[in-house]
Amino acid sequence: MRLIPAPPGPDRPAPLDLADPAIHATDDPHAVWRWARAHAPVSWQPTGELGFWSVTRHADVRIVLRDHQTFTSERGTLLTLLGKPDPASGRQLAATDPPRHTRMRAPLHGQLDTAAVARHAPMIRARVTALLSDLPEEGVVDLAGIFNRLPVAVLSTLMGLPDADWDRLTRLTMMAIAPDDETWQLPRGPVATLQRAHRELFAYFQDQVRQRQRRGGDDLIGTLLALQVDGAALDPGAVLSNCYSLLLGAAVTVPNVPTAALLELARSGDYGRLSAAGPRLDLLVEEALRWASPANHFLRHTTRETVLGGVQLPAGAPVVVWLGSANRDESVFADPYVFVPDRQPNRHVALGGGAHYCIGHALARLMLTTVFDEFFARVAEVRPVDGVRHIRSTFAAGFTHAPVRVTRRTSACAGGAR
Amino acid sequence: MTGPVGAGVTPPVVRPRDPDLSSEYRAPTTELEGQLAELWQVRLGLDRIGVDDDFFELGGHSLLAAELLVEIEQTFGVTVPATVLYLDPTVADLAAAIDESRAGSGACD
Repeated sequence: MRLIPAPPGPDRPAPLDLADPAIHATDDPHAVWRWARAHAPVSWQPTGELGFWSVTRHADVRIVLRDHQTFTSERGTLLTLLGKPDPASGRQLAATDPPRHTRMRAPLHGQLDTAAVARHAPMIRARVTALLSDLPEEGVVDLAGIFNRLPVAVLSTLMGLPDADWDRLTRLTMMAIAPDDETWQLPRGPVATLQRAHRELFAYFQDQVRQRQRRGGDDLIGTLLALQVDGAALDPGAVLSNCYSLLLGAAVTVPNVPTAALLELARSGDYGRLSAAGPRLDLLVEEALRWASPANHFLRHTTRETVLGGVQLPAGAPVVVWLGSANRDESVFADPYVFVPDRQPNRHVALGGGAHYCIGHALARLMLTTVFDEFFARVAEVRPVDGVRHIRSTFAAGFTHAPVRVTRRTSACAGGAR
Repeated sequence: MTGPVGAGVTPPVVRPRDPDLSSEYRAPTTELEGQLAELWQVRLGLDRIGVDDDFFELGGHSLLAAELLVEIEQTFGVTVPATVLYLDPTVADLAAAIDESRAGSGACD
């Protein structure tokens, strides 16, 4: 998605098909959302022969995310599934409602909560320093190219996947995330690209599951295999679908947070001062999450008639919450289009909310904190250059190319800013 | 969404094979191809399957493919590389992979 520079452009009341991936790459969804928040915060958005209720205000987005009894996840959670049945319904964590969801989530959460991921801190720091080891003294680097590699490198350790597969998995996750983007698209077009990525990843995880069944393992795949819900193991499709979802969930989101934040700090000219001052990284990470809002939307369906934002919704209606819009809501965030590194409070919804709050949140925060820490320690200045390109996607708000000019610090203080 | 297990038996809906598929109908020629086609028919709820038909074009999806692979392994006692079903998803290719796996298993194990 295009992150609009401050000051924001004019409002756009004209209808814009927010379900069109191109809008999020080249046009300005923020202008549409801002108008919608002020004039039609919950409104019907037609797309082709279908349509959905578009939800733009922070308060309404939070209601939809938290009230899983009224807004179910079991009929698809992304716009790509609009009007189609979701085969992962009741089987993949993200497409399953409580109470089954709660029982599936608990064992995985045990491996991904703050205490559990703290054990991986040295591994994460090693991965981040490796990614940043080739920075030139002075020159142009592609932040997207660097950070797009991080989630697979970290998740593969947690999932017990071989290091040799990193490049392939990174490419496949990018094909799955941005099949419309020419960077990753196969000659036969976006549908073929997505299918190929999806099927190769499923086949890959199938072979990994087989290995785990033979050799055992206490990684995330082993946990999924051992998982018992109401006395029954997950079926083979459910295991694979959750492997896919865990990897994609990290790959879609994590890289775009530092990239978006560093691009903005380069644009505003604040990078040099901020990085030298030793900012509070916990607050900075939250503002970077708000700013980037890397997961752009979630789809839900009403299970009954309800009223949202003063609008009557029928039962069975598709509802899309725009996280990027909620995170720029003027009634919640002062100066929402300004990157405030120490913003407090910061009640962003970048990681979702309610039962489906991002299961990898602790891991994501640790990765992001480490990235900023190591980047600040190495890089004295970041300046904007031409050539930034956004992902063509309704879901992944991020970058395929994010070139910036960096200048390394002269003092040899690498190894952590603090 | 699935209904409660065992709460009444619903007869499986059997649909006719879509005449607009990109593949021409070709009948199974070996016993193995016949067995595989039958397995697919049950899984996909179709009245007949050609050996060159694409599993995903027939209405299969990745989760179903995962279950089919396990079923194939249990039925035929062989391990088929997952890429065969996901990337060459036809009865003919699957039968060839099973034959290959059977021929190789004596030498490898």
